[in-house]
Amino acid sequence: MLGLDQFIAELNKSISMFLPETALVIAFLVALLLDLMFKKSKNLTGYTALIGFLVTGYFLFKQMNMQSTAFSNMFVIDQFGIFMKWVILLSSIGVVLISFFTNELYEKAKGVGEYFTLIIGMAFGMFLLVGSSNLIIIYLAIETMSLSSYVLAGYTKEVKRASEASLKYVIFGAVSSGIMIYGISILFGLTGSLNLFEINRFLAANPVNNFALFLSVIMILSGFGYKISAVPFHFWTPDVYEGAPVPITAYLSVASKAAGFAILLRFFKVTFLDSVPGNDSVWTLLGSIDWHFVIAILAVLSMTLGNLVALWQTNVKRILAYSSIAHAGYMLMAVSTMDDAGVASVLIYFFMYMVMNLGAFYVVALIANNIGSEEIDDYNGLGYRAPILGICMTLFLISLTGLPPTAGFIGKLYVFSAVVKAGYIWLAVVGVINSVISLFYYVKIFRNMYLNDVDSNKSKLTYSPASIVLLFVFAIPTLYLGIFFNDIVKWASYSANIFMGK
Amino acid sequence: MDLVGLAFYFLAALIVISAAIVVFSKNIMYSAFSLMFTFFGVAGLYVLLNADFLAVTQIMVYIGGILVLIIFGVMLTTRITGVDVKSNSLGKIQVGIAGLLSTIIAISLIVVFSSTKWFLSEPKVSGDSTKLIGNELLTNYLLAFEAASVLLLIAIIGAAFIARRK
Amino acid sequence: MQGSIGFPILTWITFLPILGMLIVWLIPSGKDEETKKRSNMLIRWTSVGITFIQLILAVIIFLNYNNGMTGVNQQSGFQFIEKFTWIKASLPLIGNIHIEYFMGIDGISAPMVLLTAIICFVAVFPSFGIEKAVKGYFAMYLLLDTGMMGVFNSLDFFLFYVFWELMLLPMYFLIGIWGGPRKEYAAIKFFIYTLVGSVFMLLVMIGLYLSVGSFNMLDMMNPANFASDSIFGGFNTSIRYVAFIALFIGFAIKVPSVPFHTWLPDAHVEAPTPISVILAGVLLKMGTYGMLRIAFPIFPDAVGYFQGLIAWIGMISIVYGAFCALGQFKIGKRDLKKLIAYSSVSHMGYVMLGMASMRPEGIVGAIFQMFNHGIITAMLFMIVGVLYDRAHTRGLDEFGGMANKMPVYTGIMTIAFFAAIGLPGMSGFISEAMVFLGAFNTYPMLTMVSGLGIILGAAYMLWALQKVFFGQIPERWQGPWDPTGKKYKHDDINGRELTALIPLAVIVIFLGIMPNPIIDMMSASVNHFVEFMRPFVKIGGHLSGM
Repeated sequence: MLGLDQFIAELNKSISMFLPETALVIAFLVALLLDLMFKKSKNLTGYTALIGFLVTGYFLFKQMNMQSTAFSNMFVIDQFGIFMKWVILLSSIGVVLISFFTNELYEKAKGVGEYFTLIIGMAFGMFLLVGSSNLIIIYLAIETMSLSSYVLAGYTKEVKRASEASLKYVIFGAVSSGIMIYGISILFGLTGSLNLFEINRFLAANPVNNFALFLSVIMILSGFGYKISAVPFHFWTPDVYEGAPVPITAYLSVASKAAGFAILLRFFKVTFLDSVPGNDSVWTLLGSIDWHFVIAILAVLSMTLGNLVALWQTNVKRILAYSSIAHAGYMLMAVSTMDDAGVASVLIYFFMYMVMNLGAFYVVALIANNIGSEEIDDYNGLGYRAPILGICMTLFLISLTGLPPTAGFIGKLYVFSAVVKAGYIWLAVVGVINSVISLFYYVKIFRNMYLNDVDSNKSKLTYSPASIVLLFVFAIPTLYLGIFFNDIVKWASYSANIFMGK
Repeated sequence: MDLVGLAFYFLAALIVISAAIVVFSKNIMYSAFSLMFTFFGVAGLYVLLNADFLAVTQIMVYIGGILVLIIFGVMLTTRITGVDVKSNSLGKIQVGIAGLLSTIIAISLIVVFSSTKWFLSEPKVSGDSTKLIGNELLTNYLLAFEAASVLLLIAIIGAAFIARRK
Repeated sequence: MQGSIGFPILTWITFLPILGMLIVWLIPSGKDEETKKRSNMLIRWTSVGITFIQLILAVIIFLNYNNGMTGVNQQSGFQFIEKFTWIKASLPLIGNIHIEYFMGIDGISAPMVLLTAIICFVAVFPSFGIEKAVKGYFAMYLLLDTGMMGVFNSLDFFLFYVFWELMLLPMYFLIGIWGGPRKEYAAIKFFIYTLVGSVFMLLVMIGLYLSVGSFNMLDMMNPANFASDSIFGGFNTSIRYVAFIALFIGFAIKVPSVPFHTWLPDAHVEAPTPISVILAGVLLKMGTYGMLRIAFPIFPDAVGYFQGLIAWIGMISIVYGAFCALGQFKIGKRDLKKLIAYSSVSHMGYVMLGMASMRPEGIVGAIFQMFNHGIITAMLFMIVGVLYDRAHTRGLDEFGGMANKMPVYTGIMTIAFFAAIGLPGMSGFISEAMVFLGAFNTYPMLTMVSGLGIILGAAYMLWALQKVFFGQIPERWQGPWDPTGKKYKHDDINGRELTALIPLAVIVIFLGIMPNPIIDMMSASVNHFVEFMRPFVKIGGHLSGM
């Protein structure tokens, strides 16, 4: 046990490294109190959340070059985590802004006070997950995220499908976190530690039963897989995405996924990297289990199933839900390479995916404000009734398909580069075939917007200038990052470094 | 078989049987009461492991707190007793697949448990585990402790939101 | 100094249409009928202006072009070079990245640039008939123009790929919104086919980049640049063959060669006239151009291995396309546009055959055939468009006796049909003759079978001519096209349509008599190309420089 003075010194250091998360907790508490005190004011907690996120951003910016552990090796600060935290933070800001323009929230729910409060809480959970290096913290962080998102998914509880979504989410979430904690306990039983660094050291020194290790990791993966909605842990995704309010769907598909991928990568690298050989950029894995192949199978399943099922959907939110499963598959493809190039390409992909996916969901929200529907048949002729929305949606969709010159293409380029570089050419071939399949359903959306009902006599859609400004906040980077991606690639490559404890 | 082993198997049987009643009983009151035996059995396991603080907490929090609340809730909500919780929406195929998967998982787990060399740590000196836990929670596990508090706060807000009248 | 004029002319010629697109965008669409009409006219004439400036730039390039410079795989041989670093970063973890904005032309691309400028200019005129969503149409049209121009100008694979994909979306919308009854099907078919080809191209591009460390095409052509332990290092490895096949299919879909041709008839039949013109006139050439520019010089060893197969594909395309065109005379299928579409498959087969010969005259013939086919097929599609605009049908057996009703039109159409057959005195004759000359030396048997294509070509073209223009005029076409006289004052072809067609007819005849200006442009580069490929491929006959 530590001496008290020593402990206090350690605690001071830890807290100084925990400032972004602390800022989130304080924002969370402030929002809670403000909501209790000023029941009437509409967006007060929303503005609190924005301010909180900005302060968090400031502290995060101060951390840019840090690499350390805190709280007795339970929490890690490294460039990798900081990149993912930026993705989470930026998408949180984006989601709060999108929420301001989502009529559904203000019409179908009684007040939005708790809504923004819970978004801050969820952001805290994700920050914690990204930095955690201890299985207990991983579990707690996942639960923090999940509990907030269960409520948020059913926030518009007057809508039947929202309550249904929320319930499904809870049940699937409970099962997968139950399986995960079972896996954690087996892993603990094998190695005698919950700390990833110590587990790594133990595995390096002592051979363990391969089958038990495999089983425990698969069980833990079910928890991560649930968060990133990878097949076969994806069953909740379409219903929840369809039922939840649009901003929450966007949040789940970007930020929550980012946190899931962050911990997946960190878990694999920290736990299984054999740090003896020296060159870390191509990971040498401990043990004799072929983790490349396991993840590659998950990737192939996610891509193929996500894309194929998306073809038959008639609801735009559902299409985007299945597409997000497929995108998880593309990223898993890069994860399966298990090297730093793969990590960097996941980071690049995430940044691009954040911009284009938030944009696509935002357009869905704006359209739903006007026509009150997300059915693809109701999108007929919208390209003429709302030209700006139509053009931006087309841009986001071709970016999601991965055509140049858009951000999505750069993401795909790097993912495929990483996969080809690692020598998994069969996987890359499956990936590109999938991106052709995905074209079908993305096209379906802008086909309805432009090819059908061309001479529509229906009224034009209305939207405020402010909402269009926000739309450009997503659309311009989608195009810009497709042409000038130098900086983002540099940053991601710099951030591909996952801290190994020592 | 020594006394400890005998006690373990007794407690394990108690937990499994009462947990099965929780799941399969059609009367929700029976479910609630047999849940008590499950919790009690778990507390007994903690005693066997020399985890006195955990055992007491288990009894006080789960049986004394949560379970009492559940039974209160059930008794106050009259309509709930008659609800048929059985669901008929599952097809034969789904049940078959689920059964198959469960069997595979069960077999794998049995294989794992019987064949694995588990990590065995040196037995710690038994005694005042309360102080040890307290010290650990506020030093090494401080982050977990604080994160759990935020988690609970979120849970309370969420529960309040869901329970609130429309 | 020739070969560069101190002005980034390739950038201008490529991005001018994007500028035009923005201008078109900013033109306010009118509120009522009157202002709407005016703004539509303004949009149309802006597009005419933009494409006309583009054409002038192309002519400037043509006049300043130095025929003696080689290109192909040496940067010093390229002209009008613009080279800037676009993306450059040295990244310790994921490898360095270096992408250049690298444009330049040589004898292979210069005729294509000229062709694109000509076709894009003339195709604006038939576009005047578009009444639906005019602004969107011309915006897409100009974007497509940029994509095509960029493909022919870029010498960096990444840049090439961006332009290559850039045309997909505008083409999808142009067919899908302004097309015929089955437009959706045709548009998505086009989109999917091309995308399938290009995603495999993407994988090959990534592999090449990982092997060479740069996206520069010229670097990829130099075997010394391949790291020896990289994916594509060495020669005659199976992975190189697979990569070549992937690239080849990606380009062959665009050509389109049998068996990847099925999207073409659908796309042509459904596309509006000007888009058919662009599709046949420029887009198809991108496939064969891509082979010459990328697939062949980067994988010369694989070309040697598959050379016979490429010649076979050329031959099959020629004969099969011709038979399919002839099949349009079966009762119930008679579509004039489909006939021309299949004739394109056949004519692009000559290009493949000429390229497979690997002889200078064969390849010069192939490139010249690309140019000529672009001009001639553009004429054919415009001619069909003229008839379709009036009669609203393209059924071959629904016409007859049009020679009396539309004499000028008949004259133009005869020129175009004869050019397509390859009559001496027309440009098509020269290029086809050169292709046969080259191919005969390397693949005599295949070339002789391919000669069947010429005979069949004459058959279906003359037959079509006879069906439409001679014989009895059907009763329904006896009167004027437009009884109100509002849209068509005369029965014959009108001035706007002639503006587009006559320059093309002049080019066809001029190049038929005096092909030197175009052939001289490419011969130096082609000779160099053949020299470069020579160690790897089979070349029949005695080789003497052009």
